[in-house]
Formats: sequence, C-alpha cells, structure tokens
Amino acid sequence: MVTTRAGRRPWYRREMSARRFALILNLPTLLFLGVVLAYPVVYAGYLSVHRVGLAQLRRGEFPFNGWDNYVRVLEDPLFWVAIKNTLIFTFITVGAEVILAIAIALLINQTSVWTSRVTRFLILLPYAIPPICNGLIWSFLYSFQFGFLNRILFSVGLIDQPINWAGNPDTALYAVTVPYIWRTLPFAIILVHAALQGIPRDLYEQAAIDGANAWHRFRHITWPMLQQIIAIILILRTAFAFAVFEEILAITQGGPGDATWVAAWYSYKITFSPPNNFGMGAASAFILTLMIAAIALVYMRTVYRRVTL
Amino acid sequence: MFKVTPAGRVLLHAANLTVIVFILLPLVAVLIASIQSEKSLQADTRRVLPAEVTLDNFTVILTKGQQRGRIFEQATYLPENIKSFYAAFLNSTIVAVSVTALTLLFGSLSAYTIARLRFRWTLFLLQANIVARFVPVIVLMIPLYIVMRSMGQLNSLSGVILAETGFLLPYAILILAPYFDSIPSELEEAARIDGCTRLGAFVRIVLPLATPALAACGVIMFIVSWHELLIPLILNARPDFMTLPVVIASLVGDVFVFFNLMMAICLLALAPTVILVALLQRYIVEGLSAGAVKG
Repeated sequence: MVTTRAGRRPWYRREMSARRFALILNLPTLLFLGVVLAYPVVYAGYLSVHRVGLAQLRRGEFPFNGWDNYVRVLEDPLFWVAIKNTLIFTFITVGAEVILAIAIALLINQTSVWTSRVTRFLILLPYAIPPICNGLIWSFLYSFQFGFLNRILFSVGLIDQPINWAGNPDTALYAVTVPYIWRTLPFAIILVHAALQGIPRDLYEQAAIDGANAWHRFRHITWPMLQQIIAIILILRTAFAFAVFEEILAITQGGPGDATWVAAWYSYKITFSPPNNFGMGAASAFILTLMIAAIALVYMRTVYRRVTL
Repeated sequence: MFKVTPAGRVLLHAANLTVIVFILLPLVAVLIASIQSEKSLQADTRRVLPAEVTLDNFTVILTKGQQRGRIFEQATYLPENIKSFYAAFLNSTIVAVSVTALTLLFGSLSAYTIARLRFRWTLFLLQANIVARFVPVIVLMIPLYIVMRSMGQLNSLSGVILAETGFLLPYAILILAPYFDSIPSELEEAARIDGCTRLGAFVRIVLPLATPALAACGVIMFIVSWHELLIPLILNARPDFMTLPVVIASLVGDVFVFFNLMMAICLLALAPTVILVALLQRYIVEGLSAGAVKG
C-alpha cells in the first residue's frame, strides 16, 4: 500500500475538502430524491404520453401514443367538473383558514383570559388526527340517519327533520370543506401566532398613547406585520388543498353523483377503477402537478428570496 | 396586553368556547360512537349520549375477533382487516420509527451542508427540496409502484419505508436547515483549529446543539408518516404488510362495518399521535414554523 501524507492519520481523521465533504454528506439525500421523487415524476410524464392499461403494465411494454391521453382527459367533462370542484374547494378552505387563523391567533394571544389559554392548549389537537380517520369521523358526524350532528341539532331542538349534509349534491362539496379546514387549521394558526410574537410591543404602547382604538391598532400595526406570513399560508395551503384526497375518499367517494369529484380523486378513479387507464391517470395527475408546481415556484420566489450565495 | 373591558371579556370567553367546541366536536363524536353497540346507535337516532356503555368494540379489535363480547355475539361476519389490527399497528410503528430515523439522519447531513457550505449546487439542492415538498403523492402512485416492483420492494415494509423517507426528506431538510444556519460557525471553527475533522465538528459540536431542532423535526416526521395513506396503499396489497391507515381505508366501502366499530378502530389509530402532540407540543410548533418561513 502506498503511504500518502494524509495516510498517516486513519481515514476518519483525515481532513477532506469542503467540496468533497458536502458531496459525501449529500449522497443519501441525492439518491433518495432521485429514486423516489425525480425519477417517478419524470416517469409519470413518460407514462402520460404512452398507452398504459393493465395488459401493458403486466407486459411492461407501453406503446407511444403522443398527446392522446391529454386530449382524452381534456375532452372528458368529468375532468372539468373535478377541476371546478377543486377550485371551489380550495377557494373556500384557504379563504376560511386565513380568516379563522388570524381571528383565533389573536384570540389565543389574549393570555389574560383563561379560556384563551385553554384554546391555546387544544389548538394543535386536529394536527394529530390521521386524515383518513378524520374523514371517517366526519362521515359519522354527517350521516343522514345516524349522524352525530343531526343528533345534537335534534336534542337542542334546532331541527325536526334530519339533514343530509354530505348526501345532498347541493351541499356535499361545502360539507367536505369543513373537515379539511378542521384538520389543517392548526398549521395556519401556529404560523400567524408565531408572527404575532414577533411584533414589538412598544408599537402597540405608542399607538395606545396616541389614542388608537383596537381596530386602528390591528389595521396599522398588526395587519402590515402579518402580510408576509399570510402570503406563505395562502401559497402552502392552496398547493396542498389542490391535492385533497383522504377526506373525499372517506366521506363522499366523489358523490353524490359527481358533486365532490376533485382532481386527485379523478386521477385515483381513472387509475384504479376499470378499465384502469394508467396513461390517462398519469396525464391527469401530471396536469395537477404542473398547477401545483406553478404555485411552488411562486413560493420559492417570495419566501426563499433571501436565500442567495 | 391591554386591559379588557368586562363586556369584551364575555365576548372573548364566548369566542373561545365556540373554538373549543369546534375542536372537540369530532373527538367527542368518535368517543361516544365507539363505546356503544350498533343496536343502540340505531335504536334512537336522536339520542346524543349512549343508552348503555360497552367496551366490546375495543375488545373485539384487540383480541383479533376472538372475544366477541355481547354486541358481536350474533355477528356472522367480521372484516378480515379488523383481525389484523395488531399487525397493522406494529407495521405502522416500524414504518414511522424507521422513516423518522432515516429522515433525521440523512436530512441533518444535507441540511447542515446546505446551511454551512454554500456552493452553487447546494443552493440548487435547497431549491429542489423546496419544490419537491409540493409534489403530490397522487402523481407518484403508478411510477412508485413500478420502481418498487423493479427493486423487488412490493409487499414489504422496507419498500414503504424507502418511499416515505424519500418523500419526506425535503420537508425534514427545510425544517432543519434554518436551525443549523442559526448556530454560530465560530464553535466549529474553534474545534477544527483544535484538530477536529469536518465530520467530527459536525457530530460533536453541531449535532448536540441542534437537539431541539432534531426533536421538532423528528416528531413531525413520525406524525406525517403515521398518517400516510396513499404510499402504503399502493405498495402493499397483502394484509400482513398493511399499515393502520390502509386497514382503516379498507373499511370505507364495507357495508357490514357500522360506525361503532369504525370509530373504535379510528380512536385506537389516532391515540398515539394525539399523545405525541400533547406531550411535545412546543417542539411541533417550532418545527412547523421553521419548515414554512425561514430561509
């Protein structure tokens, strides 16, 4: 064996260049990102321009068919229903979450009120609930015959006929927004609450001396200081609401009719229910991914702008 | 912060009460449904509190259907997947613990180099991770299935662990990188002057300082992995490799499973992460904001 200068130390004591060090430490990450994310996404793009059914999947041969899958997806009225429902769902959930997050974050900031401290303690609880369980729990709450919500409304005397919350095509889409808001709201509240802690107290004290009322203090101090975090919440929640899946699966399975078909559900059904058109499923999922990628780029430009060399 | 008037105080109490009821409503529902029989749920559909309380739903799940108790005495059918509860719970635990360990290990290595050694390509890696965090699982379904099939990883826990680790690594890196960035680099420089290697400085100086961030990241990784449905659903078709969310999702279309049994298994599945959140709230709060805002 050739003894080099560095060889006098055992290998783990040798000093390596920063460049090599960074590369070695990042090898596992690069490998995982490549195998589990980058390659599959590219592969989904590949599948989306090929004919892929059960027979082809078994044989492993996918005949090229150009834009055919995309044309078929875009010509499918159900796809446009799914896109419309996704947009409505996203608009409602994200809008409600931003408003509720600001309100509740301000509420739990009132540490002198003891009930605010209770709320603050409980606020993270929905984050702990598995999405599929959340969906099933709300399917019990919403059940027409046996539902918990109707039971409560009966017992306080608000209704005398049961309400079909998730089974009515006119209300189903709105009904499934509530469980989703319930589960994902803690995230938004925590971000707003953290941002509130960063506002210097003397700003408020000065404003109080100047005779500003609560609304003025919110409008001219709190709101401007919250704008950045609200932009972040808008972007993140929009991107994730676009891909909502578990609550739809558990509560309505897209129904009644096509009332709650959303984009992810469309891809799932096209893929897994007969005639199992994997190519079309990949094409529709790819369209959804491109929409989300556009949002991701906005996020990177606005939030991580400060990350420069 | 400011003196609240008595009328304002009443309003705040009312607002808090509304929020608390909203948060607790689904949890009260799942609890109440799981401690009664199908019969009592169906007998009076306007009753909120159970007519009689029973633990048979939990008994039948926890004894793999062996002890049926009074309410399942005459049941001729029990879903196979109810009987595999223990296996699913164990699988979920193995997957979540492994994914947590792997994402923490590889994530901290990457996050450290991204925060400290700012080459052009590590900056690009950070950007790639930011974008990767947004990739929806739905687009990965069939490709992941084919990739894992070609590596012989279908119907195994290792396949699910590999897939989830890759899927969650970007998030772990985004949570950890700002923390490593905030640790002053003078400490490592001093250690290196004293003869520490780069790796030694990272392992002995930086990692111990980063324990709070590792805890925050770890508990979030565990929770997200425990909740993951689609990845194990696609990769594992055999009951012995199913995780809890997959078993629960398999009950969705089953007309013979009524709400009492369904809510009982949901309660057992959500308990571990609820306990984690209750105990480690502070870390989760820090991790969630670190992963979203800092750069």
